[in-house]
Amino acid sequence: MTVDPEALFAAHHHRLYKYFCRAVGPDTARDLTQDVFLKVTRTPIPVAAEGEVRAWLFHVARNLALDHHRQRLRRPEPSELTDEGARTASQDVDLAVNEALAALPDLDRDVFLMREVVGLGYEEIGRACGLTPDAVRSRIHRARLQLRERLASPIATRRTIPMRHSGRQT
Amino acid sequence: MSDRHEVISAFLDDEPFDSNALAEALSEPAGRELLIDLLALRHLMRTEGKEAAAQPVRRPWRASLPALVAAAAVLLALVGGYLAGERRGELAMSAAPPATRVVQAPAAWKDVRSGRMP
Repeated sequence: MTVDPEALFAAHHHRLYKYFCRAVGPDTARDLTQDVFLKVTRTPIPVAAEGEVRAWLFHVARNLALDHHRQRLRRPEPSELTDEGARTASQDVDLAVNEALAALPDLDRDVFLMREVVGLGYEEIGRACGLTPDAVRSRIHRARLQLRERLASPIATRRTIPMRHSGRQT
Repeated sequence: MSDRHEVISAFLDDEPFDSNALAEALSEPAGRELLIDLLALRHLMRTEGKEAAAQPVRRPWRASLPALVAAAAVLLALVGGYLAGERRGELAMSAAPPATRVVQAPAAWKDVRSGRMP
């Protein structure tokens, strides 16, 4: 049994894009999503259950995001000119979220994003990041506590808006 | 925050958890506050990105000024060049060009009336 890279792309490109949007920013997210699939087409895809293939895919994605961060440390990009007055309240919150995420340790940020934005389970995240499910749970919780502290104001605002409990994303 | 609240994260994530530990964690006001905050954080993570993606940050007009000036200069040069060319063409057509060679009539030349040979 072989896995078709195109089918894999169709099934997962949206999740990968969402992960990259938060991990490296929307400007680079599209390019890195494409890069994952370039790598996938040049590498034998493991013949395994869907969850394992997904974990493998996010392992590849995480490595690309880490490479991107290393490159940016070596060659920092000029910050984009933005008019603070022209930003909407939503964009301000988004900026605060991205800054809070950037302040997390790399591994904590990745396990948190894989859970919260992508919707992977603890086992899949563990496979993608080389951790046990218990370690994943601890890191996700630690990341949440840090984000709760840094994003106290937007969280307080969000608490006034009606919410719906949403568990694991599929 | 103590580790005993990790069970709240596991509950939120639909992962296996100890129900007694969850009951204990939620029996404290701090545990209940944490649960609500983490739900709000989840909503923040899942909605803000979408809104921001739909509304790219606008660049201020000042940032576009050099590009506008360059475009205006190119346009001005093109229009100026066109008009100068037009004017030169009009001048060239209104006056005959100066003669480059004058042909002298030979000494035996005679004017004759038209239709008659000498």
